[in-house]
Amino acid sequence: MARDHGVIGSAAPAAARQSGRVPWLLIAAPTAVLLLFFALPNALLLSASFVKSEAQQLTNELTLENYQFLFTRPLYIWAFIRTFIVGTAVGAIDVLLGFPLAYFLVRTRSRWKGLLIALALAPLLASVVVRTYGWYILLNRYGVANDLLVSLGLLDERIAFMPSTGAIIVGLAHALLPYTVLTIMGSLQGINPNLEAAAMSLGASRTRTFFHVVLPLSFPGIAGGFILAFSIAISAYATPAILGGPATQVMATAIYGFMTQLLDWSIGAALAVILVVCAVTLAYAAARLGARQAAL
Amino acid sequence: MSPWAALRAVVIYVYVFMLGPILITAAVSFNASNRSQFPPRGFSPQWWQRAFSAEWVEPLVFSFKLAALAALISTALALPLAFGLSRHRFPGRAAIAALTLGPLMLPALVTGVGLLQLFQYVGLRDYLGFSALLIGHVVICVPFGVRTIAISLQALPPSLELAAASLGASRLATLRHVVLPLIKTGIVAGAVFAFVHSFTDVNLSLFLVRPGEQPITVKILGFLEYGFAPTLAAVSVITLALPLVLVAIVERVSGLGDFIYASRSRG
Repeated sequence: MARDHGVIGSAAPAAARQSGRVPWLLIAAPTAVLLLFFALPNALLLSASFVKSEAQQLTNELTLENYQFLFTRPLYIWAFIRTFIVGTAVGAIDVLLGFPLAYFLVRTRSRWKGLLIALALAPLLASVVVRTYGWYILLNRYGVANDLLVSLGLLDERIAFMPSTGAIIVGLAHALLPYTVLTIMGSLQGINPNLEAAAMSLGASRTRTFFHVVLPLSFPGIAGGFILAFSIAISAYATPAILGGPATQVMATAIYGFMTQLLDWSIGAALAVILVVCAVTLAYAAARLGARQAAL
Repeated sequence: MSPWAALRAVVIYVYVFMLGPILITAAVSFNASNRSQFPPRGFSPQWWQRAFSAEWVEPLVFSFKLAALAALISTALALPLAFGLSRHRFPGRAAIAALTLGPLMLPALVTGVGLLQLFQYVGLRDYLGFSALLIGHVVICVPFGVRTIAISLQALPPSLELAAASLGASRLATLRHVVLPLIKTGIVAGAVFAFVHSFTDVNLSLFLVRPGEQPITVKILGFLEYGFAPTLAAVSVITLALPLVLVAIVERVSGLGDFIYASRSRG
């Protein structure tokens, strides 16, 4: 599979024309669209977060109150903490489940290999809403899990698996697993098989080779997979909205609340800025870790 | 048990975890009762009939149109941008590259909030709905096309163009008869990823909808507040099958495998 290390990043393009002139004809229109509808709204968001707003209109009053508000109310402090717990747990679960699967998919000689890879990645083609809905069917009070446990006599009466932080974690871990698998597969494929052969020819056992050669070499993929799952999980809205409730707010659901129900757009903007800072820091960390193909 | 056999056992459980909820959703949609019983009791196509009523077909068609247009426009923007970035070196190139990848780096949710505020503050609130959604989706889809097309361009040996030029072909003719046919797969792959990304998006769309103009994902999300309905299971299966069929067809006709690494997005 083709890799895209630095395809549009900083690497010097192979067939580049060294004219040094800006190719306006090529880049003017797309750049204008991105500046107008991506850079401008995000700049607006950043400035709105430092301004007081009334009735969805900004005032001229500069203030840090929006941030102060968020960092002093227990409800939102808990939303931050919960968001990070969810992100960490989702990343950890996805690495634990994704590594064995990725290792298997890279190394298997089964003639079903192609189909198995397709099956592992196909869930990416479905919306998170649809995939989370399956967990809703499983976990709600009158859902499949309760039916099963009651009929087996393991439960006396139905219990609520959701709304809960646990349900959000399971749902997101499920939704983001293919990303982690893809990232780890990428780094496993990059390992020179001769290294393993060399370790074994020098007398290392299969297990020793795995722990001392394969695992350390696939660390960028593992870290990249963790960070990718983490950073998508902290900005996910649909799964926490479906499997959580008012008592399990995360940053994404809180932003939605500020924008559509509480109608305090400046605080919503401040919260969005905090989310961006977290996500971009993580993406940068992932790039530094050498797993840039995962983050970009 | 050998380590490999143990690994295989673990992998089976991981597949059950990944595919179980999707299969249960499909099974429940054929339930005879209106509860989420599993295994399903009885067999009834009634929920599927309801899934094909106007209430659900309309947002589905809306999503399809939105995704098709977003894929088309974003690819049209991505093509020259990919050429500019991978064939030219110019001052500010790094900034343009960062701007291009920006929509992938930043959570779509934040871009959605930003666009909503932009539309509100400049008095374009009336354009929320399809127009705003299309703009937002084009923006978050551009990076996919740029990446897949840039990959194709890099794989192209420069000697081919030199050969065409030495045989007297003009630059335009070389582009039309040599370069474009050779990067066709990259263009198609970018458009397909853009379509899927748009069709499955919810984080961005959430903020730009208005009543009667919402994609299927937002519609499902809103409906879930009323609790379980088997109709929703049937709708979910349809929503899930559509991009799957599309990707399967394109994979058959032109191939996507090489570009899978470029397809990774943020939620």
